Amino acid sequence: MHPETELIALVRDELAPAERARVAAHLEGCAECRRAAEESRALLQALAASAPPPPAVDWGRYQADLRARVGARRAWWRQPVPTMLAAGVATALVVFAVHGLQRTPSEVVTLEETMLGARLPMLQQYQVVERLDMLEDLDAIRQLDRLGGER
Amino acid sequence: MSQETPDETLLQRVAARDEAAFDLLVARHQGRAYRLAWSLLRDAEDARDLSQEAFLRVYRTAGSFRGEARFSTWFYRILVNLCLDHQRRGRWWRRLTVRGGGEDPEDDVLERQPAPAADPAEALGRDQVMARVWAHVDRLAPQQRAALLLQVQEDLSTSEIAQVLACSEATVRVHLHRAVSALRKTMGRG
Repeated sequence: MHPETELIALVRDELAPAERARVAAHLEGCAECRRAAEESRALLQALAASAPPPPAVDWGRYQADLRARVGARRAWWRQPVPTMLAAGVATALVVFAVHGLQRTPSEVVTLEETMLGARLPMLQQYQVVERLDMLEDLDAIRQLDRLGGER
Repeated sequence: MSQETPDETLLQRVAARDEAAFDLLVARHQGRAYRLAWSLLRDAEDARDLSQEAFLRVYRTAGSFRGEARFSTWFYRILVNLCLDHQRRGRWWRRLTVRGGGEDPEDDVLERQPAPAADPAEALGRDQVMARVWAHVDRLAPQQRAALLLQVQEDLSTSEIAQVLACSEATVRVHLHRAVSALRKTMGRG
């Protein structure tokens, strides 16, 4: 079996001693592999010597552009929390607005009933509550409750 | 900090956001980075952009370098991955945009090669053969081409190429064997 994949490592002197001895022994008796090894060596040398040069670069501009890109990234990193926070708040507002708009009247009634039920003990303390029939007046009731506590 | 300061030491300073260390690291490696990116992509603007992107990633992830390999091996890995990813995206895009015009892709590649020097006939013939071989290098499979360029241009060992390409040394040997075999056939056609 020809050691085809070891030939390049052989010509670059990268094989371990035992492996090199094995491949060298094979080459002594195999003209095809000897030719392949020699052609590979010549080809690699020719490629190394003839690599086409890339178009010229203005290195001053290259470094200036790179510094600007580093600066842009750094500026973004320095404010990760406010950026994330703003994104989170915006998302929450959108979700709230969509869900709020989609809420049916029956759901709103259920919500009002729940809130009123939770505040029933407080409402029963004030006769004035009899004159209040709007949910919006809960703020006024809360204020009365606070005043009552101070008395 | 001087020209003798090892890359790995500079990288530690970059991790601590030392701008001067970063500038020195860039100045040391920009030429090789740009040349390798251009050899893989054959587009100067892309080579500029992606080699800069590789430096940006060095700046951003310097703290994650564990020192298990040399800086250059780590850096080449970042750069080659960027270039291979770019090529993959490019192939996908070209498949959608390029219409079959019957052009020979070899013609385009040959046009991009530098004009051979006005030397004697023998040198001219040799240059033409090598231009054809380099045109064939551009058509090798991406992993084969990357392995070959890292060896002949950057003089990396098989072990270092394996680290850059994140594969085994045996796989690198197969890539190199296939690449060189295909190129030898191209030379034989001359």
